[in-house]
Amino acid sequence: MPFSPEDQFRADGNNNVPPPQGYWRFAWRSGNGANSLLFEQRAVVVNLGLFGALLLASVIYLSLGSVKVAPTAVLQALFGNADIMASFVVQELRLPRLAAAASTGAAFALAGILMQTLARNRLATPGIIGIDNGATAFAVASIVGLGVSIAPPAMALAGATTAAVLTFGLAAGNGTQGYRFIVAGIGVGAVFGAITQLMLARVAIDTANAAYPWTVGSLSARPSGALQLLMLGLVLGLATAMALARSLTLLRFKDATASGLGVNVKRRRLEVLLLSVALTGLAVAVAGPVGMVGLIGPEIARSLASSRSVPVLAATLAGALVMVLADLAGRTLLAPIEIPVGIVTAVVGGPWLLWILMRPQRSFT
Amino acid sequence: MTVPRFATPNVRRATPRTLMLLLLTALVAVSLVSLLIGAGSVGPGRALALLSGAQDSEARFIVWELRAPRTLIGIVVGMALGVAGALLQAVARNPLAEPGLLGVSAGAAFAVALALVLGASAATLRISVAQLGALVGCVCVLSVARFRGVGNDPVRLVLAGAAFSGLLASLTSLILLYDQRAADEIRFWVIGSLAGRRLDDLLAVLPSMLVASVMVALIARPLAALALGERVASGLGHHPNLIRWLVIACVALLVGAATAIAGPIAFVGLVVPFVARAFAGPDIRRTLWFCLPIGPLIVLAADIISRVVVAPSELPLGVLTALCGAPVLIAVVRARRLPML
Repeated sequence: MPFSPEDQFRADGNNNVPPPQGYWRFAWRSGNGANSLLFEQRAVVVNLGLFGALLLASVIYLSLGSVKVAPTAVLQALFGNADIMASFVVQELRLPRLAAAASTGAAFALAGILMQTLARNRLATPGIIGIDNGATAFAVASIVGLGVSIAPPAMALAGATTAAVLTFGLAAGNGTQGYRFIVAGIGVGAVFGAITQLMLARVAIDTANAAYPWTVGSLSARPSGALQLLMLGLVLGLATAMALARSLTLLRFKDATASGLGVNVKRRRLEVLLLSVALTGLAVAVAGPVGMVGLIGPEIARSLASSRSVPVLAATLAGALVMVLADLAGRTLLAPIEIPVGIVTAVVGGPWLLWILMRPQRSFT
Repeated sequence: MTVPRFATPNVRRATPRTLMLLLLTALVAVSLVSLLIGAGSVGPGRALALLSGAQDSEARFIVWELRAPRTLIGIVVGMALGVAGALLQAVARNPLAEPGLLGVSAGAAFAVALALVLGASAATLRISVAQLGALVGCVCVLSVARFRGVGNDPVRLVLAGAAFSGLLASLTSLILLYDQRAADEIRFWVIGSLAGRRLDDLLAVLPSMLVASVMVALIARPLAALALGERVASGLGHHPNLIRWLVIACVALLVGAATAIAGPIAFVGLVVPFVARAFAGPDIRRTLWFCLPIGPLIVLAADIISRVVVAPSELPLGVLTALCGAPVLIAVVRARRLPML
């Protein structure tokens, strides 16, 4: 159905004109005139579905483990009237870890979809182009206490920024589309990975062993304070990304098209890049490099949502869901041995990445 | 940024022999340095005194029992990885095809970890298992390369290889987490290092190295013909598919053997042929000759640095090769025109 701004004007004040196909419109009057909001039906359904799945997965996450708590008991424990054992296990042990899993997954996936849109390259997730490794190297430097004693989140942010500057600087002139950019990023990541190894080799063996699970991506060793910072950053970042959603949609086109439609391309790019790098750094400070989530989350969101816009919220929810499920699998599959969540996501994400590469090429983003 | 150009020898025609002599001299010098320098208490002075005839039992043990085998192993590993890299790049027609990057070493490491979990323990078994794993990894990656034109884009092949080796590395660490005994047995092997390897390990891989060198000698000429294109090669009486399979077998033998001794070491197979081509030009036969001194040179130099930088402890060799190799990778990718082989 044809739809133009004039239609929306005429729709002011009365609901007689139907919204464009596939959309719901909410119109209301306020003091200074008529307002309306359009919601894409498919996006609403997808987001609600993902949110429901995330809630369900969370309840299962809280109930399974070395001590099993029945799902009904989980709900009771959450709202404060269960026996002391169940509420201790649920509230003190599993809930913080669930929060860490969901928020790191959400942050990685949000950073991933932002970076992909920015680079117009669906393989350009922070994990693949070396930003995770940069953040890890710097954070390990602060954990093993080399010289500076700045908190891991700040160091991870600095590392993510350094790696991003390097990768984008090396790509300057060649553009970010295509595979060369990605391989330059892999090179940057390899350098930072080697630096991490170097630092781990320099310190005492027990310090290195303590830092090891974290360098492959794990939720069992969370530096204190990092999670609160991440949650704050995630809320702010998600709000900013939602506010930018309209220009993100336009950034998928050529620069000329986007600026013709009123986007200040350079400035918006920089904002999106900063947002993505900051989210990656904060998330790495909590869980280490679990970069594959940044690839899987957006892929799931894109396959569910329509291609009318960039599915920012759906990618975030899908990332949280993937991370919660991956950590659940890591905790329970080989119990009592705990598989670091980074290994679970790599085992799932590796074949997925290969499949993307071997599929006949279509347009990116 | 200046990148050495491929396929256009800046070197004058008459110089390869001189260059080769220079490289061999450098190799002898580096081997000597490798005997003299170490992380422990025996410094260059004591070692030199020992070499000129002094009686010093501690120095004798350290130099002849620890450093000499290590140097020999470094030489063999460097040769094997360099030649394997050059072969793989020639057959994939891709300057970025490197056994470590494409997951061949990761395949070998995974196979060894799997064999250990399934109950194998003998050190001799490790070599054939590693070679089998390298073979499977090689075949997997090259079939991906021929699949839907992934191999037409050199850089895309690297990405597929990175995904593949990342997957194998995660599976390996999964196995190590699962089985503590296996983890203890190969923890120091899986990061790639020359430290603490015995001469027996070297003797065990020597037969397969010899087989591989005979094979390389036989396929060098057909491979040079294949560089002119499949049709030209068939027209000259060679069988392209047979050559490819022989090369794959060769690479698997070499990388499997090198990985079995030293663990997975990435980027050597990228850097060595890169330098060798800059010296030798486009001819694969000459490149292979140049790989023979350059590979050991780079591995030994990296090994010496790895003993010195964090003394008294040691750095895994793989870390250093990654630090040197990744900039080369970036330089190749950044070149205005991607060099095609």
